[in-house]
Amino acid sequence: MTDTHTLTGEEVVTQVSALVEEIFARLKPVLAAAETLLGETADLSAEALHTIRPQVIEALGGLVVGAGFVSAPNVLADQELGFEWWTSCRTDDGAPEQLFISLDPESPNFLDYTRQSWFTVPRDSGRRHVNGPYVDYLCTDEYTLTFTVPVTRGEEFAGVVGADVYVREFERTVSRRLRALGRTAALLNAQGRVIVSNSVRKATGSLVREIDVPAWWASGAEPYTAPGGMTLRRCGDSPITLLVTT
Amino acid sequence: MRKEMSNSARLAMFAPLEQVGRAEAVAARLFDAITLGLLDDAEQLPSEAELAAQFRVSTVTVREALAVLRQQGLVETRRGRGGGSFVRTPDWPAQSSWAERLRLVSMAELRDFGDHYLAVAGSAAKLAAERSTPEDLERLRLTAEDLLGASGPDATRAERHFHLEVAAAAQSPRLTNQEVQLQSEHGVLLWAPLGDKETCRGSYAEHQAIVTAIASADGDRARALTEEHLLGALDRLADLHLTLETP
Repeated sequence: MTDTHTLTGEEVVTQVSALVEEIFARLKPVLAAAETLLGETADLSAEALHTIRPQVIEALGGLVVGAGFVSAPNVLADQELGFEWWTSCRTDDGAPEQLFISLDPESPNFLDYTRQSWFTVPRDSGRRHVNGPYVDYLCTDEYTLTFTVPVTRGEEFAGVVGADVYVREFERTVSRRLRALGRTAALLNAQGRVIVSNSVRKATGSLVREIDVPAWWASGAEPYTAPGGMTLRRCGDSPITLLVTT
Repeated sequence: MRKEMSNSARLAMFAPLEQVGRAEAVAARLFDAITLGLLDDAEQLPSEAELAAQFRVSTVTVREALAVLRQQGLVETRRGRGGGSFVRTPDWPAQSSWAERLRLVSMAELRDFGDHYLAVAGSAAKLAAERSTPEDLERLRLTAEDLLGASGPDATRAERHFHLEVAAAAQSPRLTNQEVQLQSEHGVLLWAPLGDKETCRGSYAEHQAIVTAIASADGDRARALTEEHLLGALDRLADLHLTLETP
């Protein structure tokens, strides 16, 4: 193993970047279908959301176990909230199944998705977002990464299209290369939370506190070596960072 | 520490009341009786004078209490001949089955449920304190606010949602699943006695304190406060259970 190899973690960075781009690429047809549908009429019914199903189901596969469109409040004409989401993980043969959640604010089982970060971050930033790892108690109860892209109608935010990836599957995909680094390393989200690591000392879901990762992101996320020798490196254009310790 | 339960016999419905906050106490007592299904829908309440005698308070106090219940839609007062105050059972969760469920739970089961729930929710709070990002805290704060001014089913939902949010902030699917499971088992029972405003205000303050502990990454304090909060609810539930057993 050469020094440049261990220092940069080039292979990990390349792989993660490619994975993230592939997942967002799967969402492109869903986004196009949702925006076309929303553009057709200002009087869209919840029923009409069904027309984007072929694109949603097509997005499933690879690491993506769930996908769909979630509307902003009052985008639909006949109900406050809208949710067209499909998963391939509920059935043994992986056949797509529609996922239902309570959309009635008066119901005792209602949980307000407009507070979830996978919804608020794309809404407030206007940009794509990788949410998690988080416990998806709203839908599957699984430890999940959710990739979301804002949907607009004209200039207005109208909801998000998204794809779910299980943290354990993401880990399986990247862990070999992460181990091959030969040093303690972890992939972090933009808040500094560990997504995958090759060490028990950096447990999945824990927060890295030695370096202020959010501040590093705010200042441009350029490759960085901390005084102790820890390095941070962004994985392509993704919001995922490779942390390597000495 | 768990409160003594020996005083719960005094909670029997028409037992004399303490001198403080009497109107509220009368309202709370009747609230419990109505929402627990001890008093049937459309049942006529005793007259103001009778209630006053039974609770050993003045008729003015009873009138105040009835006004509170009328505002909550739990009592309807009709004037004239055949008039009086009548129970209006709320249509949130089927009350008779609710009371029946609580009656059927034994104190031993209740204690065991409490032990399990404390272990899960306490640990979740501790881990949430270690693992919450500013985003998580924002969501916790929003959920804690839901209890402000809430009562009845809204309060129950706010309670359940808050503890679910804490479990999720712990980043633990297992604890979250346990939280959901425990809530579906006894959640409606546990938080339904929240009903009256005074208890809701107390719970609101307790949620605020838990969020503050989580925000300051103080895991031990978050755990201790969560345990106290739950013990309070479990004590209320045990008291109500004993009330139901009282003939």
